[in-house]
Amino acid sequence: MDLMLNKDQAAVQEAIEAIALDFSSSPSDFHGFALVSPELDKVLLENGFFEIATIPELGPVSAAVTVERLARLPYTAETALSMMLSHVLGEVERPIAVVDGLRPGRFVREAKTVIVVDDDRIGLCHPGPSEVEDRPDALYAYPMANLVSLDGVYWLSDAERDRIKTWLRIALANEMAGLLQGAIDATVAHLSIRKQFGRPLGAFQALRHRLAECTVLSEGVRWLAVKAAWSGDAGDAALAAYHAQDAATRVIYDVHQMSGAMGMTLEMDLHLWTYRMKALLSELGGRGGQAQAVGQHVFGV
Amino acid sequence: MDFSWTEQQLKFRERVKSFIAANLPENWEEIAHGPGSSEQTEFAKTFCGRLADEGLLVPHWPVEWGGEAADPWKAFILAEEMWKVGEPRGGQYMNVNWIGPILMKFGSQAQQRTYIPPMGRGESLWCQGFSEPEAGSDLASLRTKAELEEDGYRINGQKIWTSYAGDADTCFLLARTGSGKSGISIFLVPMDTVGITVRQIPSIIGEGDIHEVFFDDVVVPESARLGEEGQAWEIIGAVLSLERVGIPRFALARATLSRAIDLLKQSGRFTPSVIEQATRAKAACEAACLFSYRIIDQRAKQIPTGAEASVGRYSTVNCERLVAEFVVEHLPESLCGDYPMLLAHHQRGIVAGIASGAAEIQLNNIATQYLELPREPR
Ligand SMILES: Cc1cc2nc3c(=O)[nH]c(=O)nc-3n(C[C@H](O)[C@H](O)[C@H](O)COP(=O)(O)OP(=O)(O)OC[C@H]3O[C@@H](n4cnc5c(N)ncnc54)[C@H](O)[C@@H]3O)c2cc1C
Repeated sequence: MDLMLNKDQAAVQEAIEAIALDFSSSPSDFHGFALVSPELDKVLLENGFFEIATIPELGPVSAAVTVERLARLPYTAETALSMMLSHVLGEVERPIAVVDGLRPGRFVREAKTVIVVDDDRIGLCHPGPSEVEDRPDALYAYPMANLVSLDGVYWLSDAERDRIKTWLRIALANEMAGLLQGAIDATVAHLSIRKQFGRPLGAFQALRHRLAECTVLSEGVRWLAVKAAWSGDAGDAALAAYHAQDAATRVIYDVHQMSGAMGMTLEMDLHLWTYRMKALLSELGGRGGQAQAVGQHVFGV
Repeated sequence: MDFSWTEQQLKFRERVKSFIAANLPENWEEIAHGPGSSEQTEFAKTFCGRLADEGLLVPHWPVEWGGEAADPWKAFILAEEMWKVGEPRGGQYMNVNWIGPILMKFGSQAQQRTYIPPMGRGESLWCQGFSEPEAGSDLASLRTKAELEEDGYRINGQKIWTSYAGDADTCFLLARTGSGKSGISIFLVPMDTVGITVRQIPSIIGEGDIHEVFFDDVVVPESARLGEEGQAWEIIGAVLSLERVGIPRFALARATLSRAIDLLKQSGRFTPSVIEQATRAKAACEAACLFSYRIIDQRAKQIPTGAEASVGRYSTVNCERLVAEFVVEHLPESLCGDYPMLLAHHQRGIVAGIASGAAEIQLNNIATQYLELPREPR
C-alpha cells in the first residue's frame, strides 16, 4: 500500500498544475454555460497528456489524477474519456463522447468517436456533421448534441462492452471528483468574503458544517475513483460511480443554497461545475444503473 | 500509487485470521454484544493473553517492551481483523493503541515498569477518565480537582460515560491542577484506591459499558502524575490523534453489511431497491476505509496528520450510520436479538458519532483547518 503518487506520477501532476494555472480563472465577460477551451485541449495534446494511461510508469492512476485536476478548472475540454479510455478503446480518434441512445451527450458534435450505450449494448460510431444535432439551448455547462440515428453504430462484444462500461464509470467518477471540488472551492471563496449579519457567511456554523459534510463526500469520491482507476475492477468502478452521482446530487443542492442568489447568476462560476455535474448524473443509468452493477460485481446477484 | 498488500502483509493477515478462528469460542457472537460487558472483558483477558503469547498483541511496540517495532500497517491489519469479528480484545484495544505508547513517551521509569509489562501480556484493563457531566465536547472545562498536599494529590470530582470503569484496574484520569487548558494534569490512578465509587449507567448500548465515577478525597502519591503538571493538553493531543484512526470501525460495519446481505439473499429479499441502499452503505464503508488507509500511509511515512483525521472520522460516522440504518430497515428482527452480531454492530455503530469526539466537532475542524473558512466568533 502506497497512497502517494510515485515520482513519475508526481512529475505529471506538477506539469498539469503548471498548465492549470493558465486556465484557472474564467474571462470576466463570459456569461454562458459551456466554457470550452480549444487552447487547453491543444496544450494537453501537444504535451502527450492523452496518452498517459498507456505509459506503464504512469498508468490510469496518473490519468485519473489529471482528469480530476482539470475538472476543477472553470474551462472544460474533452479530457476524461480520452484520458481514461485510450488504453481500452485502442486506436480510435478523439475527441470521444458517450451517449445514451439518442439522448443528448457532451462533446458529441466535436467527437470523432462516440460510444453509444443502448440498453444492454455498447457500440461505437464516427458520425459525420449531418448525423449530429446540436442542442445550443442546453443548461448543461458542456456543449451538448445528440445523434440523429443509431444507423452507423457498430456493436461490440459482451466482453468489450463490460470493459468499456467499467472504464466509463471510472472516468465519470474521477471527473465528478474534480467537479465536486471545483464547486466546493468556489463556494468556500464566496462564503469567505460575503458578509451578512456583520460577519462572513463562512463563520456561521450551519454553513461551515454543511460545507464540511460536502467535503467529506467529495473526498470520498476522489479516493474511490482513484482506487478504481488503479484496480480497473468492475465492482470498484461501479461503487465509485455510484458514490459520485450520489454525492453530487446532494452537493449541487447544498453549494447553490449556500451561495444564495449570487449562485444563480452566470456571473459567479458556480454553475460551470454544478451544471457539468448535472450532465453526469444521468450517465450510465444514473444511481440505479450503478447500483445494479454493484449488485452484480460486488454483491454477486 | 499502489493499493495492494505486500506478500508479507497478506501472510500476516492470514495468520491473524487463523488465530481468531482458532481462539473465538462458539458462543462468541453472544459475548460480543455491547462493547463493555463483564463477560466480554473477562473473555478479553484470556484472548489477549493468548495474543500476547503469539506475539500478536503489541507487534508495533518497540522491542524493549515486547513488540517487534512493526510498522503502522501491521497494527492496522491486526485491528481490522479484530474489528471485523467484533473486537475480542474488548477495552484492551486502548492499552495497545494509545495508553502503552503514551506511557512509553511521557511516563516515568517507575510508571513504565509498573504498567507497561502487564499491558503487553494482556492482563490489564484501563479506563479513560476524561468526560464529566459539565465537560463533554468542551473537555477543557473539566472541573475534577487535584490539589497537591503533603502526602500527595487529593482528587475530588466526578467523571461520566467512562467505559470499562466497572472492571478496570487503572484510570487514565484528567484533573485540574490550575486554571485553563494549561492547568490540566494526568494521573494514573488505581481503581481500588479509597474514595473511588463506580456506578453503572443503564444504556441502549448494552450492559456494563458506561459508568459514572466519583472521586471523593482520593489521595494518590505525586508519582501517580504522568508528565509535568499542566502537560495534559499536549499529551492528550497525541492520544486523540492515535485514537481517531486507530479504530477501524469500517471493518465491522463492512462485515455487518455483508452478513445482512447474505441473510437477505437467503430469504429472497435482496431486491433492486434494497440493493441500491446496500450500495450506498457499501460505498460509504469503502470510502471510510480508504481515508483510514491514507492516514496509516502518512503515519508509516512519518508525515504528520492534520484535519484529514477528522475527514476520516466523519466518513466513518457516515458508514456506521448507513449500515446500522440498513439493518434496522431490512432486518428488524436483529434488534430483538435474532442475529447477535448485527445487534453488536448496532450498539457500537450508534455511538460512532459521539464517543471519542462528537461528529460536529470533527466538522468544525474540517471547516477551519481543511477548508480554511473564517472562524466562528467565540
Ligand atoms: C459509548 C460511549 C463511550 C464513552 N466512553 C468514554 C470514556 O471511556 N471516557 C470518557 O472520558 N468519555 C467517554 N465517552 C464520552 C464522550 O467522549 C463524549 O460523549 C463526547 O466527548 C461528547 O460529549 P457529550 O456526550 O457530553 O456531548 P455534548 O458535548 O453535550 O454534545 C451534544 C451535541 O452537541 C454538539 N456540540 C457540542 N459542542 C458543539 C459545538 N461547539 N459546535 C457544534 N456542536 C456542538 C455535539 O457535537 C453533539 O452533537 C463515551 C461516550 C459514549 C457514547
